[in-house]
Amino acid sequence: MNYLIEERRNALAAEYVLGTLRGGARRRYQQLMMQHQLIRETTWVWEQYINVLGHRLEPKPPADTVWQVISDRLGFEDTIHTRDKERGKLQPFPGTKLWQSVAGLATAAALVLAVLLLRYQPLDKAPAQYAVVQTQQAQALWLIEVDEKQIKVKATDKLAQQANNDYELWFVAADGRAPVSLGLLPQTGEKSLNKSDLFDTTELAALAVSLEPLGGSPNGAPTTVLYTTELISL
Amino acid sequence: MEHEQHLKLLRATALGDKQAFSQLYQATCAQLYAVSFKMLKNKALSEEALQEAYVRIWHNASEYQLGKGTVLTWMISIVRYRTLDLIRYQSVRNEHALEQDADDIATLNVSAFEHSDTTPLKMEECMDELDSEQKQAIHFAYFNGLSHQEVSASMGSPLGSIKSWIRRGLQSLQRCLSI
Repeated sequence: MNYLIEERRNALAAEYVLGTLRGGARRRYQQLMMQHQLIRETTWVWEQYINVLGHRLEPKPPADTVWQVISDRLGFEDTIHTRDKERGKLQPFPGTKLWQSVAGLATAAALVLAVLLLRYQPLDKAPAQYAVVQTQQAQALWLIEVDEKQIKVKATDKLAQQANNDYELWFVAADGRAPVSLGLLPQTGEKSLNKSDLFDTTELAALAVSLEPLGGSPNGAPTTVLYTTELISL
Repeated sequence: MEHEQHLKLLRATALGDKQAFSQLYQATCAQLYAVSFKMLKNKALSEEALQEAYVRIWHNASEYQLGKGTVLTWMISIVRYRTLDLIRYQSVRNEHALEQDADDIATLNVSAFEHSDTTPLKMEECMDELDSEQKQAIHFAYFNGLSHQEVSASMGSPLGSIKSWIRRGLQSLQRCLSI
């Protein structure tokens, strides 16, 4: 198919910019943009018309914290340096042999915190299980809720945000198999992760959080395990 | 005036001027956040999209060209693509909120077009020339980031009709805008 024919080129560009070009077609179009200047330019033309629709929305100021996160990520502030110093106080997890024993450090205090944090949040249905990821100084970093369909994760303001790294969540099975990634954790705000079938088929020893290069583990295994926690039913 | 001010700040941003970038953020963040929030209906994810967008704007400021529209339109493109990415990876939309949007779309801020750049006005004129179904389908897709199937569900019309309305609507826009 010749994508450079004017009619086809404009039709694809318009649907790409509108957002109705999905899945494989969208990915193929992005490849075409990289290959053909003409397709890039056609896309820009449609962007400058279609996206003026966005001017029509009433402005909605975001929270002040958004700028703080952006400036942190771009290294504008000295906060990362300060937070990294705090990070140095944390003891990296030594090895997989101790998954379960370290998971036991998710203490009753974490459970109380989970209840306190969640009791004021209206929920559509009874949540299944909770976990709190915390430092050895008992600072809560993430609140995790695992319900029937998904894993909801909320980052707290105690979390040291990393501009050049991601945090990744892992399912550590009791049967000794290699940890299975559950996805990247948010560094601010909330995020929903897909719930692995493992939760329904395999006994969980612990949830673990690792520090990874941007984009997650490069080899499917946790790089530097920072924290572990237990999943608790309330 | 707005575009010239944004362009001045963006040019300084491209040279690494953090203060200018901060001012550009202050001048535009509410508009970009409105675009993302309208699509995601989720504060945390909308903020994530906004953060990603501004990080990209900082890194790619020197790539802006006038051929990409006004600075604000170019920035809206960036936040919208990031938001579409998030929609694909997350199930975040509230169906009830989508139903309410049918009314909201009819009361958009038309006064936002009352400035010197003629592109938005021309786009507005051309949108007005579309059949009501074409216009509504394009609005649903644009403002809510909906797929053809999702527009079909929201409008209660067959998928084939939705695809046809959007395709013909975009063709009409192309003729009207002389693209």
